[in-house]
Amino acid sequence: MRVVIAEDAAMMREGLVRLLTDRGFEVCAAVADAAALRVAVAEMVPDVAIVDIRMPPTHTDEGLRAALDIRRDHPGVGVLVFSQYVETRYAARLLADRPAGVGYLLKDRVADVADFVDALTRVASGGTALDPEVVGHLMRAGRDTAGLGSLTPREREVLSLMAEGRSNAGIAGALAITPGVVEKHVANIFAKLGLPSSDSDNRRVLAVLRHVGG
Amino acid sequence: MTALRAPFTALALRQVVFCVAGVVSAAVILAVPAILPALGALVVWATGATSDRPVAPLFLVLLPLTLVLLVVLAAPLGRGLSRVHRGLADRLLGVRVDGPPARRSLVSDGPGWRAVAYGLLKVPLAIPEGYGAFCYVFGVVNLSYPVWWPLFRNHPPGTTLGPVHALTPFGTLDTRTFGGTFLIAAAGLGMLLVAPWLMRAGIAMDVAAMRRLLGPRGLAERVRELQVSRARAIDDAAAMMRRLERDLHDGAQIRLATLAMNLGMAAEKLGAEGPPPDLAQARELVALAHRGAKDALADLRDLVRGIHPPVLDNGLGDALATLASSSAIPVEVEVSLPSRPAPAIETIAYFCAAELLANAAKHSRAGRIGLGVSGSGAHLTVTVSDDGAGGADPDGPGLSGLARRIAVVDGRMRVFSPAGGPTLVSIELPTHV
Repeated sequence: MRVVIAEDAAMMREGLVRLLTDRGFEVCAAVADAAALRVAVAEMVPDVAIVDIRMPPTHTDEGLRAALDIRRDHPGVGVLVFSQYVETRYAARLLADRPAGVGYLLKDRVADVADFVDALTRVASGGTALDPEVVGHLMRAGRDTAGLGSLTPREREVLSLMAEGRSNAGIAGALAITPGVVEKHVANIFAKLGLPSSDSDNRRVLAVLRHVGG
Repeated sequence: MTALRAPFTALALRQVVFCVAGVVSAAVILAVPAILPALGALVVWATGATSDRPVAPLFLVLLPLTLVLLVVLAAPLGRGLSRVHRGLADRLLGVRVDGPPARRSLVSDGPGWRAVAYGLLKVPLAIPEGYGAFCYVFGVVNLSYPVWWPLFRNHPPGTTLGPVHALTPFGTLDTRTFGGTFLIAAAGLGMLLVAPWLMRAGIAMDVAAMRRLLGPRGLAERVRELQVSRARAIDDAAAMMRRLERDLHDGAQIRLATLAMNLGMAAEKLGAEGPPPDLAQARELVALAHRGAKDALADLRDLVRGIHPPVLDNGLGDALATLASSSAIPVEVEVSLPSRPAPAIETIAYFCAAELLANAAKHSRAGRIGLGVSGSGAHLTVTVSDDGAGGADPDGPGLSGLARRIAVVDGRMRVFSPAGGPTLVSIELPTHV
């Protein structure tokens, strides 16, 4: 799997290159700013680009803007936005047109290598990966307005993992339950929230996020 | 003894210059109402308008014109005069009078008109000043008569000469003999001893008038000043928070994230149980993480010191000594404060000193830096001097930013930094906010 990394902090960039190379990814470019990122993506057309939000020269949101451009110009390239802070608004902008091949994670998540690699793989193959922090925000916001209060604690857990972009198998693994049980929970959740059930993970994420107001 | 030494100090000389300048400006002030119509008349004459017309109607035109000109120009002229006198008082007497706020309109310029009032008052004020300066200058001249006598009175014996005159406040003294010159010298000495007190009296009245008429006045102006400084304080606080966020984001936070990543990788290399799958790599990653943790700690330590140096709790003396010891250029620290200022003032003084030291280290190419803090009652003064290249620009971003920050507590900064050096920056702060 081919990856382009855009991250301005050198030690983080090198650490990521090392981690991904070690895990069998092919890092075809590791750059330090948004302009170089656009060039690298256009040239290499990787499976996925890891993009820091805050990069030179303005250190504001040039990474996010580059990520949106890449999603528009290269629909086949997955974009994992990678930041030290999560903004629900940014997540909404990233997911706006199609919640496919996109992710938004806190940099802290890289500490759990397996989870991080899993999220990256998901994004590269057209799935989604939303940071639990963002999902948590949305869940708290939706507790009163979207009827999440009627869910059991277990169902809320399942819903959170679903919103992060995980498949039924992934949810089963994370909660140490069988996929069959997960399916039952999912069916209950969709029924309680009055959502049309859907098989595709992406469509599920979208439905859930729309429902809770993301 | 002090009374005897008074005429022979540098201050006395500066007072003489100030008094003479006062007399000159009084003369100019008196002349202005005459100069303007004279100029007008000159223009009329030069254009030949007087040749075939009677003069009286001309004056009827010129007089109101002059009055209008005087009214329009008075406030700006007053402001110019105010600037000159505040500058003179600052440079020569070390008396600092704050400037009035900037002009808002041409005619309703309160501070400008108050400066005009000062200008009119300057005429009587210049009398004692001029008298003092006269006593000083002619005291010196009279004192020197016995020295000149043998140089000029070396005519052949029997030559009849007129008397020599000497000016004193009580008329002229005449003498035809060498002995008489000593009488003149004695009168000169008396004048010289009295002069500083005369000048001091005149200057004291002048300074009082300056403070009253040239400085900022009125609650409204003070409120405006405070509004500006409050806005600055808020901006500074916001900028400080942004800087903190940036420092944490780019420093400790990224280091810790990288450290967590390395530890995560190391944990994988060690495996969940049993013999580690890749011990060598795990060791390397742990070593990397260890280094990262130490770097993060150093980062945080620097950041904490930047927020509030803990040693400042022991007082400015200790804090500045610590600061000085980390300077690349040797710094001599001298702190003498009768009591501890308010904590906020200590913090401001500390960061001013830190920034000035950093400036000196960066730009001055100095061999030594002097850092002094002295205080007397309500004010303390931080001075940073170096023997470097000079040319520090008080309006540059660094120093003007510093001036802005200390203005929030009504502090003042003065910069003496001629090209070629040396540089002296002094900052005056109130000891309590």
